[in-house]
Amino acid sequence: MPQATSTPAPAASNLKKFLGRLLWAFVAVAAAFCLGAIALNRGEHINSTWLVLAAVCSYALGFRFYGKFIAARVMVLNNQRATPAEQLENGHDFEPTNKWILFGHHFAAIAGPGPLVGPVLAAQFGYLPGTLWIIIGAVVGGAVQDFVILFASMRRDGKSLGQMAREEIGKLGGFVALLTVLLIMIILLAVVALVVVNALAGSPWGTFTIAATMPIAVFMGIYLRYWRPGKVLECSLIGFLLVLAAIFGGQSISQSATWAPVFTLSSLALAFAIIVYGFLASALPVWLLLAPRDYLSTFVKLGVIFLLAVGIVFVRPELALPAFTRFTDGSGPIFAGKIFPFCFITIACGAISGFHALISSGTTPKMIAKEWHAWPVGYGSMLLESFVAVMAMIAACVMNPGVYFAVNSPAGIVGATPAAAVATISSWGFPVGVAEMQSLARSVGEQTLFYRTGGAPSLALGMAHIFARSGGGQALIGFWYHFAIMFEALFILTIIDAGTRVGRFMLQDLLGHVHPALGRTSWMPGVLATSGAVVLAWGYFLYQGVRDPLGGINSLWPLFGIANQLLAAIALCVATTILIKMHRARYIWITGVPLVWLVIVTFTASWQKIFSQFPRIGFLAQADQLEAALRAGTIATGRVASTQTLIFNARLDAAMCGVFLVLVAVILIDSLRVWAGILRGTRARQVVESPFVLSHLAEEV
Amino acid sequence: MKRLRTFGGLLLALLRELADENAYRRHLAAHGRPHSGEEWRRFSEERLRAKYLRARCC
Repeated sequence: MPQATSTPAPAASNLKKFLGRLLWAFVAVAAAFCLGAIALNRGEHINSTWLVLAAVCSYALGFRFYGKFIAARVMVLNNQRATPAEQLENGHDFEPTNKWILFGHHFAAIAGPGPLVGPVLAAQFGYLPGTLWIIIGAVVGGAVQDFVILFASMRRDGKSLGQMAREEIGKLGGFVALLTVLLIMIILLAVVALVVVNALAGSPWGTFTIAATMPIAVFMGIYLRYWRPGKVLECSLIGFLLVLAAIFGGQSISQSATWAPVFTLSSLALAFAIIVYGFLASALPVWLLLAPRDYLSTFVKLGVIFLLAVGIVFVRPELALPAFTRFTDGSGPIFAGKIFPFCFITIACGAISGFHALISSGTTPKMIAKEWHAWPVGYGSMLLESFVAVMAMIAACVMNPGVYFAVNSPAGIVGATPAAAVATISSWGFPVGVAEMQSLARSVGEQTLFYRTGGAPSLALGMAHIFARSGGGQALIGFWYHFAIMFEALFILTIIDAGTRVGRFMLQDLLGHVHPALGRTSWMPGVLATSGAVVLAWGYFLYQGVRDPLGGINSLWPLFGIANQLLAAIALCVATTILIKMHRARYIWITGVPLVWLVIVTFTASWQKIFSQFPRIGFLAQADQLEAALRAGTIATGRVASTQTLIFNARLDAAMCGVFLVLVAVILIDSLRVWAGILRGTRARQVVESPFVLSHLAEEV
Repeated sequence: MKRLRTFGGLLLALLRELADENAYRRHLAAHGRPHSGEEWRRFSEERLRAKYLRARCC
């Protein structure tokens, strides 16, 4: 802990202590009261302020007491100990950085589309299950995982999760971690690409805006490299103004009889465009397209999150969705399955995300100036990420529930015509009309808002609703809708090109052991072959999602959620092993409780996704049902080939789910073996920490 | 007013950090070189190569 520089008088000190305790008691009562209010409210619309206050008070308590307890008692952080940033300072990766700058840097790195899309999809159960999981999951699980992994990496000179898994658990653990990351990356890229495809299909305004970001990024790349080298902020500002101009231009395009058809693309055409884009972006020089777009998307992302927070606080919208919907029984139109386990894998990044462990063992541990900074950076950043998920939940729930289900439900569930869709949705108790949907679509400059699965369009509608009420009124709702779509698509596309590149490097790393030339990043045939292989892998899952009559999200998002949570289980295995080796076995419940929960949730979800007898849940049951229909001759001749593809896809998804399950079971059993050996005394407790070196840095950097 | 200025300073420093402008300054200082287009390109290539070797978050 930073030490006080002067000792206050005892009376003043006691008064300060008393006031501090009083304040925290008040925060605790407020948290309990707000959580109680959102949990017990039935039948009436609840104001979003309750959710915001419940989240903020819970985060404050979690940070101040639980986070600090872990920092002080479990990890015993010590500011006298030099961090890798101080010891290995090199002006590049290792650099002692101000804790608040690093907090923002780390938050920008962990904030992706997951915490925005997951809560929107999980809102089909109502606002309550998702909100409680986001708040409790983050305080007890996600923030703990990020914090412990950051601490462990910081004490090991910034080692990655894979390296720590190899050193702490064994070679098998390290290999499994690497393979899991590569497979998750493939599913992640496919699912986020599907979100963009579903948001842009049949939308000339949105497609034009996103297409325009590519020449804008290339212009920025050339500007930065040759005209004004090093002026990234200036260049990003110009890029942002150009993107705003593209949003306004998109409206004119959508109203032009000549240009609107050019930019009105089907889902399949968009999927192929994104696949080609992913290949080019991963093979082109990074400075030309990827890096300038990444800078732009980072600033836009932070700006929009800030704007959304201000908008929610300013507007204080009422939630139109109830606490629970009828779909808690597992019959949800967006994805099938009950609250347990599917709510907990649908919302991953807002509550606990394995991917964060990769960031916490990446750049951040190399930039921490003082050990105690890991507390706000590791634990605090995850709480902010969780708050982003709460805001996404609010944005989804402010819409009329009928509109929410009309936008997010696939035609295969609600009916292929607007009239059939509104009839089905209204019969569920969420009245909505064709005229209402048409009017809404017109107001945001879209031809239709039916069957826009994937979460992005409904999130954009909710955000546009909040932004329009904050400023500009209904006249600007079309602009805000497309601004939100641009914001989501921009950083999803950045993840696609950067992710494809990273996947390529991982594949080159693996194939380099087989054929050394394939491992060389300078050998163009190897670069093209591995880029192509990675793009084909996620491109196939994307194609599968686009062709899926149930919208693709129904099968791909749970697969992604399972994979991400299984990666979190691997990270928590590593964290628990480290705690045991540090003689902190009595505190293993800190990582053990979230680990046990995740293992139960992900194994149940995986089992149900593979073996459930209900075709909408179980991949194998789905394949069997389609095969039976084929055998019975009830499938039209023209659809036989596509049905056979669907059968293959369902079995492929089942196999993928099985592979994830086996990989994590392997690392779990390996970890249990190591823990049992250490606790029984048959295995040495070798802590692979860097040696203690006295810090010479000042308290505040 | 002072706190507002400190907050503004921190915000600008964060934006510069995210934009790699701070890292570039550190690079110039560490190598004792002046800013030039060539130097930025050298720094940028090295920085971006390392940056896009790491997994991106979802």
